[in-house]
Amino acid sequence: MSAIAPKFRFSYFLKSVLDNVFWIVTLFTLIGIPLVMILLFYIELPVINGNKLLDPYLALTTLADPSRQIPMLKSIIHSDFFRITAFPGFGFAALLAAATIFIERKMLAKLQLRVGPFYCGKVEGILQLMGDGLKLISKEIIIPAKADKPIFWAAPVLFVATAAAFVSLIPVASGGWVVADIDVGLLAVFAVIGFFPVITVLSAWSANSKFPFIGGIRALHQMVSFEIPLILSVLGIVILTGSLNLTEIVQSQDHYWWIVFLPIGAIVFFIAILAELERIPFDLPEAESEIVAGWLTEFSGMMYGLVQLGSYVKLYAFAALFVVLFLGGWHGPMVWPPFPEEIIQNGISMGPITLHLPGLPLLDQQMLNDVLWFVIKTMGVIFVILLPRGVFPRIRIDLLLHIGWYKLIGLSFVNIFIALGLLYAGVLGPGGIL
Amino acid sequence: MVGEYAANFSHVLLMFGFAIVAVGPALLISRMISPRRRSNPVKFLPMECGQVPQGEGRTHFMMQYYSYVLMFVVFDVMSIFLYAWGSTLLNLPKTATLPIIAFLGIMFAAMAFALYQSKRRNIW
Repeated sequence: MSAIAPKFRFSYFLKSVLDNVFWIVTLFTLIGIPLVMILLFYIELPVINGNKLLDPYLALTTLADPSRQIPMLKSIIHSDFFRITAFPGFGFAALLAAATIFIERKMLAKLQLRVGPFYCGKVEGILQLMGDGLKLISKEIIIPAKADKPIFWAAPVLFVATAAAFVSLIPVASGGWVVADIDVGLLAVFAVIGFFPVITVLSAWSANSKFPFIGGIRALHQMVSFEIPLILSVLGIVILTGSLNLTEIVQSQDHYWWIVFLPIGAIVFFIAILAELERIPFDLPEAESEIVAGWLTEFSGMMYGLVQLGSYVKLYAFAALFVVLFLGGWHGPMVWPPFPEEIIQNGISMGPITLHLPGLPLLDQQMLNDVLWFVIKTMGVIFVILLPRGVFPRIRIDLLLHIGWYKLIGLSFVNIFIALGLLYAGVLGPGGIL
Repeated sequence: MVGEYAANFSHVLLMFGFAIVAVGPALLISRMISPRRRSNPVKFLPMECGQVPQGEGRTHFMMQYYSYVLMFVVFDVMSIFLYAWGSTLLNLPKTATLPIIAFLGIMFAAMAFALYQSKRRNIW
């Protein structure tokens, strides 16, 4: 049982690495650099300082002059590309999803009197996730013989993409920090949520295996049953706000969070998102003691990794939606320190050199404070979503459907009537007491 | 006007597309660097905990609780239609709420009947 392959020689390993480096350098010099140079003249570059267009040569001078980098950075930060890839979009969500996985494993271990990930990365196993990612990407992808291959390959990618489309609707900070600011944002959220059961059932059906099939049917029942309480429990907020735009819903919670007036709706919504996320106590589609891993059984290697990434991005998106709807979104007291004045006035002096940077600060104080409060609230909600996993058993499917159809729908109607009562009694709404 | 309205939604599609572009290469890289030797037919059998699987995976399956899926088709549309009312409620006169309450009453009765029928296991 040796861990190293029998024909392993360190010199062979070095030779293969150097071969790869040689080919990469050669191909990049011969093809890559001319391609970049050709493309640069066709890409429309942003206008800087009013009339001066950013051409490739000016772009190269910014490498030497930091004061020219700041307008460039600003124009990049406010572009759509940055929003989609990095900040309120995919990168931010993936980062929070990774943090969620680490917190879940450590916290669950603490709840169950275990240690959890410990060795990878010296400090409390902080690199365990990276190790798992490398392991998954280097494992073979096995597809069952009679599977419907195109659908089976597409399902994990579509799952992540749908979760990302969900993330794009979440406003993160005031001043338009949202990827897609839509007038009917809430309805768009419900439309995106409606794609998850379709992807689940398709992937389960395409695998041509019995456990994924049963898991897919269970997932269909569960997501379908809890979609109606999920939709109805938010109607109270729409009645009181008069808007379907998520940014306007957050702005309406300037003084009072909606969880104060509509606690029943918040509870129903929370239970419904637990079921939509297939988390314990509603994890019947992935019940490992009954049906191996449910609809994930046939996924191996990186396909499984992608489904997990998608489910945690979805978890972040649902928690953020809870924060946006019920917990006041980004509102919170100003705790972020203001940008130091003397750097704007006098610049940064390092020994004999003084660096004047016009255009600082890069991001204003209000926006950073908003993001801080949004992340704190979202991590709090994620923590509460994770917490039942250490405590509760799994419930039966007939009880699950009974809860969804009898109790939660009834409670969400009660919530609607509470909202109507608050509106017509003159407590909230235009011309109300509060 | 319509194009402007549709353009708002383009960011959702862009995000969808970006996620595909971002995570698709992970599968390709995995396919390239992972070992793919030693192929045998047992490896590609469906997972059934060590048993040799019998029959097709996509079989006829007794789908219990089918009635809930049927009910979903009706009540999901109802709940979305309630949003059209809820989002314009502040601009409507108060008397316009009464027909909606009557509508909710009708839907409640329908839901109670459907739930009663769904409990009768012998007809499903």
